[in-house]
Amino acid sequence: MNGLTWNIMLALIWVGMTGNFTGSGMAIGFLLGYLLLGVTLRDVPRFSGYIRKVPRVVRFVFFFLRELVVSNLRVAYDVLTPTDYMRPGVIAVPLDAHTDGEITLLANMISLTPGSLSLDVSTDRRVLYVHMMYLDDPEQAREQIKYFESRLLELLR
Amino acid sequence: MTTDYVTFGLELATAVFMLVGALFMLLAGLGALRMPDLLMRMHATTKAGALGSGVIMVAVAIHFGEAGVTTRAVAITLFIMLTSPVAAHVIARAGYFTGTPMWSRIVRDELKGKYDRDNHTLDTPPRYKLKATADESTAPAPDAPSESQPEKQKPDDSTP
Amino acid sequence: MIDIVLWISLAIMCIALVVTFIRLVLGPTLPDRVVMLELMALLSVAFIGLYSIKSGHSAFLDVALVLALTAFLAAIGFARYLEKGGLHDDD
Repeated sequence: MNGLTWNIMLALIWVGMTGNFTGSGMAIGFLLGYLLLGVTLRDVPRFSGYIRKVPRVVRFVFFFLRELVVSNLRVAYDVLTPTDYMRPGVIAVPLDAHTDGEITLLANMISLTPGSLSLDVSTDRRVLYVHMMYLDDPEQAREQIKYFESRLLELLR
Repeated sequence: MTTDYVTFGLELATAVFMLVGALFMLLAGLGALRMPDLLMRMHATTKAGALGSGVIMVAVAIHFGEAGVTTRAVAITLFIMLTSPVAAHVIARAGYFTGTPMWSRIVRDELKGKYDRDNHTLDTPPRYKLKATADESTAPAPDAPSESQPEKQKPDDSTP
Repeated sequence: MIDIVLWISLAIMCIALVVTFIRLVLGPTLPDRVVMLELMALLSVAFIGLYSIKSGHSAFLDVALVLALTAFLAAIGFARYLEKGGLHDDD
């Protein structure tokens, strides 16, 4: 995320230089800084992967927003239909994320996606306990969360 | 002429976002009323509550259309999305320690018996535990056995 | 147009608040009530958002931000109290 810090600094410099303190001025500065870092400085090792990083972040944000909306439609369906079809359960998901920040982000995103609510992390940080609304197949649910985790980790690492 | 269309479009977007946000908040309330146990109620309030207030903040940002207001609306949305799952986590934990019952028709509970009531630590299921503590020093190494373990030991996971 | 939708939204939110309050009163255990209080705080944040649109004063958003912050801290404090001290079964 060092590239991002540089990009924001370049955007702020652009805003300061042009004197255009608005959202669009900031966006233009960010875009120009992104092109500068991604294209002209791509031989510098620190910025080498940066040009691919921002589209990935954007794609992940859209992926996350879609999941959020889907999860809410699912909740709407749950709330408005009889509760007889629900099959709640708690499963343990092994974690590949190690640092505090990664685990926090992952747990938050799990809580905001369809039918799952993260409950707690074990003290030795090996597993995350997740409450599922529809637990038909525990292994499948576990794989779904692992897929989500892999998408998040490829972004952060 | 064109500005009329633009203002009309912005007003329409504000109205739609306000209505959708209010409906999501209603959904959170109804979910809280109808769900059978604490964890399932939190499913409804965490997701629908966070999205509902976020959508209303989007409506506010569109309505005012100023940089300062937009920044504050984004800050409120991000803050709620960051904190409501954390609040759900601590309340679920507290609910466990106060002995809040789960729904009688729960399918599977791998959390059962994993909390230590005395020193408030949480245990890992045996099949995900590290085999040797020596592996801990090398970061990527412990990942491999922990991922291959579930497939190998699948048959005996019914025993808690 | 925006006024009508605003009133409809406020009415819907009032229903949501009433429904939440019913669960707050019914809520069989104390953690249930804490969840409902947190949802009421979220509803208040949304109310403040709608009211700032209605009144045209964006300064209300600061109140919403602080309210979200204190509601989170209150939930954490409640949970801490429930877990570490206090009653261990609901009365």
